[in-house]
Amino acid sequence: MHKVWAIIRREFVERVRTKWFWVSAVLGPVLFAGIIVFQIVQSLGGGARNVAVVDSSTGGLGRRVVEALETSGSFRASLVPAHAGVMDSLRDVVESKRLNGFLIVSNDLVETGRAEYHATSLGMQTIENLQRSLGRLVVKERLEQKGVNPGVVDWAQIRVALDQRKITRTGTVSESAAQSFLMAYLMAILLFMAILLYGVNVMSSVLEEKTTRIIEVLVSSVRPFQLMLGKILGAGSVSFFQFVIWGVSARVLLLLRNPIARALGADPSAVQMTLPHIPAATLAVFVAFFLGGFLLYSAMFAAVGAMSSNEQEARQAQQPVTYLLMISYLSILGLTNDPNSTFARTLSLVPFTTPIATPVRWTAGSMPTWELVASLVILGTAIVGVTWVAARIYRVGILMTGKRPNLKELMRWVRA
Amino acid sequence: MPEPVIVDRVTKRFAGHTAVDSLSLSVPSGIIYGLLGPNGAGKTTALRMIMDIYEPDSGSVRLFDTVAGGRDHSERIGYLPEERGLYQKMRVLDVLIFLAEVKGVSRRMARVQALEWLDKLGLSDWRLRKVSDLSKGMQQKVAFISTVLHDPELVILDEPFSGLDPVNSQVMRETVLDYRRRGKTVLFSTHIMEHAEKLCDRLCIIARGKKLIDGSLTEVKRTHGGQHVIVAFDGSQGNAPQIFADRRLVAKIQDFGQQAELELAPGADPQEILKGLVTSGARLARFELASPSLHKIFVDLVGPEAATAAATGGENRA
Repeated sequence: MHKVWAIIRREFVERVRTKWFWVSAVLGPVLFAGIIVFQIVQSLGGGARNVAVVDSSTGGLGRRVVEALETSGSFRASLVPAHAGVMDSLRDVVESKRLNGFLIVSNDLVETGRAEYHATSLGMQTIENLQRSLGRLVVKERLEQKGVNPGVVDWAQIRVALDQRKITRTGTVSESAAQSFLMAYLMAILLFMAILLYGVNVMSSVLEEKTTRIIEVLVSSVRPFQLMLGKILGAGSVSFFQFVIWGVSARVLLLLRNPIARALGADPSAVQMTLPHIPAATLAVFVAFFLGGFLLYSAMFAAVGAMSSNEQEARQAQQPVTYLLMISYLSILGLTNDPNSTFARTLSLVPFTTPIATPVRWTAGSMPTWELVASLVILGTAIVGVTWVAARIYRVGILMTGKRPNLKELMRWVRA
Repeated sequence: MPEPVIVDRVTKRFAGHTAVDSLSLSVPSGIIYGLLGPNGAGKTTALRMIMDIYEPDSGSVRLFDTVAGGRDHSERIGYLPEERGLYQKMRVLDVLIFLAEVKGVSRRMARVQALEWLDKLGLSDWRLRKVSDLSKGMQQKVAFISTVLHDPELVILDEPFSGLDPVNSQVMRETVLDYRRRGKTVLFSTHIMEHAEKLCDRLCIIARGKKLIDGSLTEVKRTHGGQHVIVAFDGSQGNAPQIFADRRLVAKIQDFGQQAELELAPGADPQEILKGLVTSGARLARFELASPSLHKIFVDLVGPEAATAAATGGENRA
């Protein structure tokens, strides 16, 4: 056990010392911080904006536009009567940043629904707010022209707000479809990347020992199976460490989001954080299937490394394994669209696709607990079987040089 | 003290050929034992079976009088394979500690020993550098340190002199002799007879997987000897070729140009040859009665074609 421990530690320490580990460790939090800052900035963009309304209408429409913009809460509006040269002088004011933009309204607004907005930056949020406010006003104006009671018009314009609630095992939580879709999608990509990256790490580490011939010294001291196990666990703990770094930094950033908002000059309470809520059960499923998937695939990658004698051969030999993993990656959309289809159910019961399919189904929709248990059992059985076969290929392969074995020879290795 | 290594009729076959064929040998404690043979004779396979890297198809290996294989004794054995690989991206000290830990040595102990050895071989300044920064010769030294770091009772070296420059070769030879002096056992393989002749107490010559002869160096020489004379010329060879061709005096000759090794015919008197050479006008630098060189015995036993193969051939097999 002491020997296996030494192998795990070497694998861990040497990987963590590499540049790439820290690049990706830092990249995760940076991305997350980016999301937070983006949301804060967006809420800033939604704050009150100074606009001038140039009125060239005949019926005092400009005044009513100013009122509508003021009541929307997103704008501070002022009325400017139309006269020659007004455009040029307003443009100067906008350029000197004392005004965000100016709106030109004429009778056309009610007649054909046209108006002009000039600004240095055309933020999506601002345009949307402008359009919504103007739209409501125009509908009201038109209906009133036809003699409809203003009170009725206001009442008719009350919009539908759908309160979305998702039924889960632990009870009902409010969460939107978009949120759980996003979660499932994110999870699938994380699982795919982590299993592939760290599986390939195991492979190249096996290959390194083979090509430098250090393997002979190692195998004279430890059993091949101990060596393979140590490698897989070592690489696995590196990826786990990576996830922990990401998780902790995400947590810290979340706690710091109010100070960040204040630093950016935004009101923390006004910032809408659309961060999905992750229940403990989902996290457990994610971790369990990540570990299972990693064990399953890295055993295969270890065998691939052992049967190849250089990088090029290994790249070719790893393709079948990568394709196997790719199947579930390419099925993510199908899985999230209908988590309870026969297709999705099948994928979550096939050992090579279950590491990604099951967490996605679990997150995207309600998966019966018995199905979860079944796929766990299948995955567990497959890990034992695949590791057994991989270990036998590994044992023979690490001492082989020369040409890559064909399928028949591989079978003989396994039986030997 | 029990014999550290006893190999009993082991056979190992690979697809197509038998690498080791019913080989038996025993290595007594506290000596230097040479496993000799041309390339492809099965030396490496035999050593790998002793180290438990390969499982024999039949026969058995006993180490330190137990049935447990080399892996279970890794703490007591230092094994240096022919191809000495190291992790290129690791630091020198870390590699040494790791390789010792894998053999079952505690981390603290490994560190102390590694630093001591690095100091002894003049590599102290390199301990925190990556292995890839080291020259080939320095890497050889590091590989060697990793073999002996844990002060093993038995050292097994596969072609220890191959690829060594003269200086490192000398260090290797001294270390091997030092090991015997301290009562440890050394088993090494080589196809270079000069090394074996200078170092071995006992030896075993194998070819095509089979044992041809084994025993102590003097025994081997006695049983496969006959009387030998080494002649070296200083300029003129006079009528020497004619004298050497006389089958009543000389049974076999190995001519190296300025030097020749003669195996005398049964009953021939070496003095007669000396007299003949002097009267023929040959200028002699050396005339020496000798036991046959190991190289000669080796060539006689394995045949000249195998011996040439030993000089040129590569050893490429699984």
